[in-house]
Amino acid sequence: MATTTTPAPSTTTSGRGVQPLRAGQGNSFLWHKLHSLSGIVPIGAFLVEHILSNFETVHGPTAYAKQVLFLNSLPLVRVLEWGLIFIPLAFHALYGVFIAFRGRSNVNAYPWAGNRMYVMQRVTGIIAFLYIIQHVWRQRFMGVSLPEHPGAAFAKVQHELANPWMLAIYVIAMIATTWHFAYGIWLFAAKWGITPGDKARKRFGYVCAVVGLALCVMGLASIYAVVTAPPAPEDALPAAHAALTLQRSPVGNQSVVRLAAPTLCS
Amino acid sequence: MPSTIQVEIKRQATPNGPCTTETFEVPYRPGMNITSLLGEIALNPVDVAGKPTSPVTYDSNCLEEICGSCAMLINGKARMACSALVDKLQAERPGQPITLAPLSKFPVVRDLAVDRSVLFENLKKVKAWVPIDGTYDLGAGPKQAPQIQEQRYPLSNCISCCCCMEVCPQFNDVTNFVGAAPIAQAKLFNMDPSGAVLKEERLRALAGDGGIQECGFAQNCVQACPKELPLTEAISDMGRDVFIQQVKDFFTS
Repeated sequence: MATTTTPAPSTTTSGRGVQPLRAGQGNSFLWHKLHSLSGIVPIGAFLVEHILSNFETVHGPTAYAKQVLFLNSLPLVRVLEWGLIFIPLAFHALYGVFIAFRGRSNVNAYPWAGNRMYVMQRVTGIIAFLYIIQHVWRQRFMGVSLPEHPGAAFAKVQHELANPWMLAIYVIAMIATTWHFAYGIWLFAAKWGITPGDKARKRFGYVCAVVGLALCVMGLASIYAVVTAPPAPEDALPAAHAALTLQRSPVGNQSVVRLAAPTLCS
Repeated sequence: MPSTIQVEIKRQATPNGPCTTETFEVPYRPGMNITSLLGEIALNPVDVAGKPTSPVTYDSNCLEEICGSCAMLINGKARMACSALVDKLQAERPGQPITLAPLSKFPVVRDLAVDRSVLFENLKKVKAWVPIDGTYDLGAGPKQAPQIQEQRYPLSNCISCCCCMEVCPQFNDVTNFVGAAPIAQAKLFNMDPSGAVLKEERLRALAGDGGIQECGFAQNCVQACPKELPLTEAISDMGRDVFIQQVKDFFTS
């Protein structure tokens, strides 16, 4: 028996073309599910929080500064920031790019609605990724540090959006990101078997469209509010709140000087 | 309607040989389909320039969209030669020749015939059968409620033509995605009262590399399926079941 040579597997595809399923092998299921889930929680939840917080710009620099201060006063805020935002976002983005480049779009041959959405999900994802890299770099790690100086938030964004090119980038990225999130919720429900039926998927599609549109409009309204507001003070924080940060500040005098501005403005 | 139809056919004599395009002019008859058109060429295998050539090879059997053999790219889209009507194809692209090419994601055997054994392999991987092989008569199977039967029947219409896989952007040699048809068949047999005994094995198989997670929900499969199988619904349902099985296995095995 030992001498019997095993015949070659009769897969006859002879290594060409698409290979059969590797039944039950590998870890790609886990990574795909983590990617899918991370888009809803925590990243999607963070996006909603971010757009809601930014909507405070509609109420002016002081209201926005209070919101930034509130977020930075959360317990373990740096742990939250890295554990619930940066790390999941980096994973979702990088694994998303990996997924996008493994697909072979055929929207030219099959220009159907779902197929267009499939391409758009990848395009908007990559737009959001590129935007978020520069956004995090320039707004979180460059210039005045907002966790230490929440009052400077409005002015920092206003300076950024004073550049018309940057304004265009923000508007495009806002639309792309909210689109990606809205269709992402729909995809999540479809792929995880929450909305298996055609009718359920259609109905949930309307829900996602309303959510996406609401977030997009709120985001664009925030951009509009920042751009059209009068030049904001370098520190918009009221004295009472600033006093909290004042104690931490090693250079108290500078903070006191900065405090003078909002009292004059308001 | 002109008295003849022009057809451009992508041809390839051997699996690894070079491919060429030959143009034919075929007499038009009302109600023609691609099968009868290929039959006309076989009767008189001479190209438009009058050069004699060989009849075009393609897989076919039933000629009535029930065997799934004759799937090919017709005017660039995956569909069945038997149910592709020439009048409709000409209305799609008036004044232009009809184009025929082999399915692009399967190895060419010759001309329009491709090797679709990856589907068969995948059906085996997901155990798309009812395990009742035995040495004695097992008697009548368990009763099947009509509600279950009604859900299963549309899935049982799959003809293994591979159109759903051909049109899928995720079905390619990088992802090695299993494709919609095997997922739908796994659901069909999971819902069978006798087939359900292999349910967990099917669900575990579909969580492997190239499994259900590779679906990008472009929904091309359900658009292209000539038998109108509820493929996206099957993928959604199986996506949930595969996930639940993975969670169960994580905590119990």
